[in-house]
Amino acid sequence: MGDEVYSDLMRELKEGKYVFTGELEPEKAGDVNEPIEMAKELVGMVVACNVTDNPQSFAYVNSMAASYLIQKEAGMECVYQLRCSDRNRMALLSDVLGAGALGLKNILALAGDHVSLGDTKDAKPVFDLDSTTLIKLIRTMVDEGKDLGGNEIHNPPKLHVGGAAAPGAAHLKAEVGKVKRKINAGVEYLQTQVVYYTDVLDKFFNELGKVDVPILVGIFPARTFGQADFFDKYVAGVDVPPDYLEAMRATKAIKDKEKKKEEVDRVNIEFFTGFLEHLKGTPAAGCHMMAVGYPRIIPPLKKLME
Amino acid sequence: MIAQEKKPMEEILGYLEGKQKVVVMGCGGCATFYRTGDTKAVNELAENLTKEGKDVFKIPLPFSIQACEIEKSGVFLEKNRKELENRDAVLVMSCGGGVQVVAEYMDEKMGIAKSVIPANDAIGLVGGGPTHLKETCQSCGMCELGKTAGICPLTACGKGLMNGPCGGVRVDNKCEIDENKDCAWVKIYERMEKLDELDKFTSIRDPHEWSKTKRPRLFEMEEPVKINASAGIGAIKGMMAVTFGPKPKLDE
Repeated sequence: MGDEVYSDLMRELKEGKYVFTGELEPEKAGDVNEPIEMAKELVGMVVACNVTDNPQSFAYVNSMAASYLIQKEAGMECVYQLRCSDRNRMALLSDVLGAGALGLKNILALAGDHVSLGDTKDAKPVFDLDSTTLIKLIRTMVDEGKDLGGNEIHNPPKLHVGGAAAPGAAHLKAEVGKVKRKINAGVEYLQTQVVYYTDVLDKFFNELGKVDVPILVGIFPARTFGQADFFDKYVAGVDVPPDYLEAMRATKAIKDKEKKKEEVDRVNIEFFTGFLEHLKGTPAAGCHMMAVGYPRIIPPLKKLME
Repeated sequence: MIAQEKKPMEEILGYLEGKQKVVVMGCGGCATFYRTGDTKAVNELAENLTKEGKDVFKIPLPFSIQACEIEKSGVFLEKNRKELENRDAVLVMSCGGGVQVVAEYMDEKMGIAKSVIPANDAIGLVGGGPTHLKETCQSCGMCELGKTAGICPLTACGKGLMNGPCGGVRVDNKCEIDENKDCAWVKIYERMEKLDELDKFTSIRDPHEWSKTKRPRLFEMEEPVKINASAGIGAIKGMMAVTFGPKPKLDE
């Protein structure tokens, strides 16, 4: 990792502060008004927000454009998610330069879901680079001011690169081998896929051993039963505990909107109290709260970490 | 060999709209192995087209006479010149290679410009068998197997990642896009573990050199194999060896 610090997220991580990040999801729309409004609510609660790039391969507003507008309109630092699924190495390189020019300070480098899982199934999947080689490309651009061909970049972009890890991966040893590869490639921080089970997290940290890269653990307090159910059914490597899922399902029957909100919050706080208490004892450098469209849950969850 | 499937009849009839007199040509190579261009397949397609009211002429190619090798298939085209001249379209039961070689030869060497239509969909360079086959190589021009314990990540990984596995591996180590396919990178890990080469797993493999795949790739043979009776005897010797040699262990 270079010594330069370009973003608030990286400054807090380097200072050893316990970091909280959030998540915003641009949609299939001609504007990003909703994530901007969400971002405004999250200011002060989290240091930065990930802005998703075609999550689950559903084609939405371009993540770079959304990140720029959110930073500009809401004053929220963004983590621009960048997937290899849809762009070849030339487009990735050009997007990283674009991100630098727009003042974006963090990129989360991802392989991305296969296009056949989303809503544009006949698209040609690209994957010219993978997450590891994208991380390496970004570090080479930022630190050495060079592109893949060794060509010089005038005024190189000033940004940080993070990577993902999947503690719940079916083959943990292979997953950890890949994470170590990302560390070798120069990743500056890691963010895990959503975890609900403390033993899954412990096994991951044990297998990984001591590393110099800060790790944010992903949690997903669901706003609705549907969100929790979707994660359980469709997101690989994530198991949602049946008790939590059932408690969320029960909230569906509550007619009164306010009472329903209170009950959803209660279920989440009750479940995450134990999880977050456990998290304090792990090597995690912070928590990525993937609470899309659910900013009100962040303050009480943060309070649990105090 | 190149595995292939027969196209649906509806699609074929669509291509043949307004074309009454047609030729059905087979292929004695891969298409014969995959039963999409053998004599039986040629007869079946001809019969179905006749039922649809078409006037069909058949050119089956014997075993080992591939449509894509013009030195062999050209003999059968020349032999049937008169029929080809009088027909509206030629359906070729081979991969796209055979279809195009036949079309080019007829047009440029025989002076017969006709619609040459594919009857099959080629689905990949496969290996294994006899019943379960797997796409193993995509002829990329820059073989990476030496870096990945002999399993091609570009072909065996659903995303073609040079540095996997991705985060989408299923509980049973299957691929995120198909529950019937193994995660290539878990396979690579397990094989490297057996070979005591796990240090290679965590090393970073450079992006694949796609510059080696500038399509269409051209290929020059300095000394082409002679297609003659002696080659035929060689083929017979091979078949004898397979018939009488030790039997390989095959899947049920």
